[in-house]
Amino acid sequence: MKKGLQLFLGILTAIGGFFDIGNLVTAAQAGATFRFQLLWALALGTIIVIFLVEMSGRFAAVTKKSIPTGVREHFGVRVWIAPFAILVLLHFLTLAAELGGIAFALQLVTGISFQIWVLPVGVLVWLFLWRATFDAIEYSTATLGLIALCFVVAAFMYHPPRSDVLSGLLPSLPKQDGAKYWLYAVSIIGALIAPYMFYFYSSGAVEDEWDKSYLMVNRIVSITGMSFGAVITAAVIIMTGLVLHPLDIGVDSINQAAFVLTGAFPFWGFLLFAASMGIACTGAAAEVGLSLAYSTAQTFGWNWGESLEPKKDARFALTYTVAIVLAMLLMMLGIDPLKLTIYTMALNAMVLPIVSIPFLMLMNDGRLMREFTNGIFTNAATAIIVLISFVLFVVSIPLVIMGSG
Amino acid sequence: MHLFRELLDKQIEDRDDERMGRVDAIGVELRPGAPPRVVDIELGGVSIAARLHPRLEALAMRLHKKLGVRRSARYHIPWEKILDVNDDRVKVDVCADDTPAMDWEKWLRRHVIGKIPGASTEEEE
Repeated sequence: MKKGLQLFLGILTAIGGFFDIGNLVTAAQAGATFRFQLLWALALGTIIVIFLVEMSGRFAAVTKKSIPTGVREHFGVRVWIAPFAILVLLHFLTLAAELGGIAFALQLVTGISFQIWVLPVGVLVWLFLWRATFDAIEYSTATLGLIALCFVVAAFMYHPPRSDVLSGLLPSLPKQDGAKYWLYAVSIIGALIAPYMFYFYSSGAVEDEWDKSYLMVNRIVSITGMSFGAVITAAVIIMTGLVLHPLDIGVDSINQAAFVLTGAFPFWGFLLFAASMGIACTGAAAEVGLSLAYSTAQTFGWNWGESLEPKKDARFALTYTVAIVLAMLLMMLGIDPLKLTIYTMALNAMVLPIVSIPFLMLMNDGRLMREFTNGIFTNAATAIIVLISFVLFVVSIPLVIMGSG
Repeated sequence: MHLFRELLDKQIEDRDDERMGRVDAIGVELRPGAPPRVVDIELGGVSIAARLHPRLEALAMRLHKKLGVRRSARYHIPWEKILDVNDDRVKVDVCADDTPAMDWEKWLRRHVIGKIPGASTEEEE
């Protein structure tokens, strides 16, 4: 495929893949409760995810290996098994949250409980993985996912006070609800750096047979794609900050957030919200399910590939099948998708050091990366990322406990 | 030669480049008065469990005996069968489908995945 087209599709995919239930829920709650005050967490998380995604793409292009393969081969199964187990758990919880998100979008439109919708939704996502090829999944969800741009359009129509938006980009201390403030900050960052984002990206790059000629494509895609994705998320914070914050209602259920667009689009607003949510979560659910199957197959050296027929990689296909079934069962129990999302995202932030440090060490290994190891700038940034992750790790544990009140 | 670094945990491919697992353990023979000699490479969940903890190994072995469909919990590939080792894989002179390494894969193909419509566009054998 021509590089230009690849670049375009790559950016599209990155934008589409960026926005999911995690971003939507954490941004909506942050905006409704703290107006624009948590925009800085979004900016910080976006910078971190740009670095992580760029590195995982570079790793795949140079070594032709995905992250689980690289880490297991290099550090051995004894080092890799704990991060792998955590990764599996996080993928599973995220998958359940995404399925819950699609089902909730359908509940908004039909009034039928999401617990009932989870069954057909799970089957649909599974069918998608079962039948479609990798490119079909990537590009269709990415293109449809652009519907979420309606948040950006709405935010522009409202002319938010520029100085307020800018001051939100600077970290500030909360006036009240301290525990909630920090929990939301950690969750916003956790939603951005969800491990499936960069694990999926690296497997995709291997699947698309990237080589060194893709390094520039990789860099542009990670920077542009993630930034555009962040703009959509910022628009959600701004819209909920403008519409819901003055009403002092917070977001305790997605029903409340769903009215955020009705001011900008009187007739279509509600539907647009549900469609954005449903499509973004469908794409993400497919990516999370695939990412889980990729990571497992790569860890154990099984045959893998989304473009193979399920019969050619039965264990790979079984992995995502079982994960989807279990995630459906979890959501049918009636777990609140909103709460599940917030805590899963906080968990993402908490375990970032564990799932990223072995990988960051590989990025500095000259034997593996040759002249493409991290430069001083990237390493400095990486050191800061690890430090921030560690701080998040330490602070988020009590927050998860306190913030639930 | 950094044997363990070069071999352990590496992807194993059969003679037709089919991925069949990873080098989960290495069998070494200790000989009195002579240097140790690599006898074989090993694949299997039990081999992985053994590297993590003896208790896990016992648990994995029990699971294998109860539920396993593999002919043997550990599959040994003799050193003589190794064709080539490079940065990406260990190539071995076997046919993956005939080995215990693929027993689970074949069982799932036959009893689970193959039973679901759309698993393959080819006709049933």
